[in-house]
Amino acid sequence: MITFDHVTKRYPDGTVAVDALSLEIPAGKTMVLVGPSGCGKTTSLRMINRLIEPTDGTILIDGQDVLAANPAQLRRGIGYVIQQTGLFPHRTIEDNIATVPLLNHWSKAKARARSRELMELVGLDLQMAKRYPHQLSGGQQQRVGVARALAADPPVLLMDEPFSAVDPIVRASLQDELLRLQAELRKTIVMVTHDVEEAIKVGDIVAVFRPGGHLAQVDTPERLLGAPADDYVTDFVGFDRGIRRLSFFSADGLDLDAEAMAGESATVADARALSVPWVLVLDSERKPRGWAASADLASLPAGSKLADVPLAPIGHTFRPGYDSLRSALDATVLSRTERAVGVAADGTVLGVTTYERLRSAIRAAEEAADLQAAGPARAGAAP
Amino acid sequence: MSFLSFAWNWLKSPAQWHGSGDIPIRLLQHLGYSGLSLLVAALIALPAGIWIGHTGRGGVVVVNIANAWRAIPTLGLLVLMVVLIGFSVLAWLVPLVVLAIPPILVNAYEGVAGVDPDLRDSARGMGMTGWQSLRKVELPVALPLIMLGLRTGAIFVVATATIAAEIGLGGLGRYIIDGLSQSNYAEVAGGAVLVVLLALLVQVIFVVLRFLVVPAPLRTAARNDG
Amino acid sequence: MNWPLLWQYTGANALLGVLPAVLGLAIALPLGVACARWRWFYVPILPLTTILYSIPSLALFVVLIDYTGLSNTTVIIPLTLFSLCVLVPNVVDGLRSVPQPVRQAATAMGFGPMRRLIRVELPLAIPVIIAGLRIAVVSSISLASVGQLIGVSSLGYFFLDGFQRDFPEEIYVGGAAIIALALVCDLLLVQTRRLATPWSRR
Repeated sequence: MITFDHVTKRYPDGTVAVDALSLEIPAGKTMVLVGPSGCGKTTSLRMINRLIEPTDGTILIDGQDVLAANPAQLRRGIGYVIQQTGLFPHRTIEDNIATVPLLNHWSKAKARARSRELMELVGLDLQMAKRYPHQLSGGQQQRVGVARALAADPPVLLMDEPFSAVDPIVRASLQDELLRLQAELRKTIVMVTHDVEEAIKVGDIVAVFRPGGHLAQVDTPERLLGAPADDYVTDFVGFDRGIRRLSFFSADGLDLDAEAMAGESATVADARALSVPWVLVLDSERKPRGWAASADLASLPAGSKLADVPLAPIGHTFRPGYDSLRSALDATVLSRTERAVGVAADGTVLGVTTYERLRSAIRAAEEAADLQAAGPARAGAAP
Repeated sequence: MSFLSFAWNWLKSPAQWHGSGDIPIRLLQHLGYSGLSLLVAALIALPAGIWIGHTGRGGVVVVNIANAWRAIPTLGLLVLMVVLIGFSVLAWLVPLVVLAIPPILVNAYEGVAGVDPDLRDSARGMGMTGWQSLRKVELPVALPLIMLGLRTGAIFVVATATIAAEIGLGGLGRYIIDGLSQSNYAEVAGGAVLVVLLALLVQVIFVVLRFLVVPAPLRTAARNDG
Repeated sequence: MNWPLLWQYTGANALLGVLPAVLGLAIALPLGVACARWRWFYVPILPLTTILYSIPSLALFVVLIDYTGLSNTTVIIPLTLFSLCVLVPNVVDGLRSVPQPVRQAATAMGFGPMRRLIRVELPLAIPVIIAGLRIAVVSSISLASVGQLIGVSSLGYFFLDGFQRDFPEEIYVGGAAIIALALVCDLLLVQTRRLATPWSRR
């Protein structure tokens, strides 16, 4: 756990980058510091590993004052990833990753073995071990950067806008990679970004900074979207926050309709008997085939099989156990029939949702979230 | 220190300041040889360097010259000219010019070729012809390096003119060469002091020139790089 | 053509050319590191090197006669100073050319300043430093021949002898030998750079 206690950074010319910052970063969680340029987030990050020295206040890592330790020793126990990677151009990938272990006097063999372990962990082809950084793409270089930071298995990982220098597609895959790593490793991660979307996607807790080095709000991403503390945070968080918030609610809460469907071997008469505007037609494995309109059903002979009826396409499906209400809503909006099909992992149909059912589920989820937030104090606490 | 006292005594003596071998005359000679050679070298090397830098053609030649020219032995070139064509104006002018051309050429080339491509792009985008771009954008930006090339050329020209006394040229080097052959150490010492002072004077002239010619923002930018 | 004499003078010239550059490097490295680290230190040193470099070699040789006589040292000291004038700015530029993110990453990983200098900054500065070394060596080899004017033996001998005897062939030989010597040293340095920097793009 990392604690900032009234930490201030004042420069000789009078500018105050960080003003009496008090913040608690719980162990094993990802805390994202976000804000506009010049708000003090990067300065705060870099005071943790003393690349910048605080003017006032204390920073504690697991109870130890960072100012009491020898800086070089301190930094060997903290991983650091930066935007431009800072990979050593004159060392191979393998040796780049092995840097801190070698500094800690590991044997070369042991250090290189650890490098390979980490290359696999971050998804790099082992064949690249002997290559040099300039031979890799931007995304690959940043993976090496992360591997290098994790090499000595530090409990704390600091990341300064690590994914800002790559294109959006690579950035998204790197963010997913980070989430996957964190689920496995449970490090204390402090990340700085100016992109609020990234903060919301990656962070367990998000700290929004105001210009001048003050905190505006510290909360979970869902709370940030659901209950921004003031106009500044509302503006900062951006548009569509109601819909974006829905990605934090599981589609599990949906009450799906399991009745308005029929197998392809059933007859038109059976389908008509359901008396619904759209009937979901299933194949023999109970996977969705298409929608039959009641208007069509009315004009067809009663005995014909549903398999031969013209069907409207299913469109996008969603998985209630895995996806969010946002995905379910999106699938519904995209569907011609204003209905979305919820499927299980194997593709079999679990049920159908409509706007009506979505509305109830959203209402229920929001109320539950608000109730939970009203309980424990908000700023700086883990949910 | 006996070197300085030798030099001082020699310089003080009135014989040096009057007569056919006196200091003002030799000084003027030295400046004359140097100035003329530098001018000729600049007339050849500046247009060539600027043109090659602007068009980008022939850059390979310049790069090779840049690597090779320092190997040319000054003394060797001077004596060769005299042995081949006897002592005349060309015998000293050609070596001095030849040794001054490379720094002027290379620096002019690098100055113009090194202009930010974005600047050239905007100039073209605004509708300037190649010639206008050169005159209004590229040359002003290249000016610090061009001046540096001329300054370096001046260093070599003054130094070579000093050595050229060996093949019979006048100028301040005469004192050193004559003093050495006559074992007149006072003259040698005095000559050396004068040569050093002249070299420093030339540097001062170029510093002032730089101040006058190169616009202030470019001056500081160049200094921060170097 | 007196071959043994040619070899002897080539050897002498080689010594007079290479030694100053090596000595210059030995001084320029710590000096350059200090200049790169402390800007206020570099502020007076850079103009000093520019001024020193502008002084004709013959004048410097002559100044030293009083102190070191007509020996090799009289030539080696000024040439070492000239090499310094080239090498100090090169060491500084080389160190400054190390990308900021690389330096910052090294500090953040726990490299102390000395270790960072030796393991990261100097290796990355090698190409620029060797470029300066090439200039210093080639210039010294050429300037050493001027020392013949004060009687210090080098390939300049063939220039003066050819001059006195009105014998151009001898001058050609001397010139060719100097240029060949300079070329060989230059190529050796280029090879050294290639070997020392296996990571650079070829």
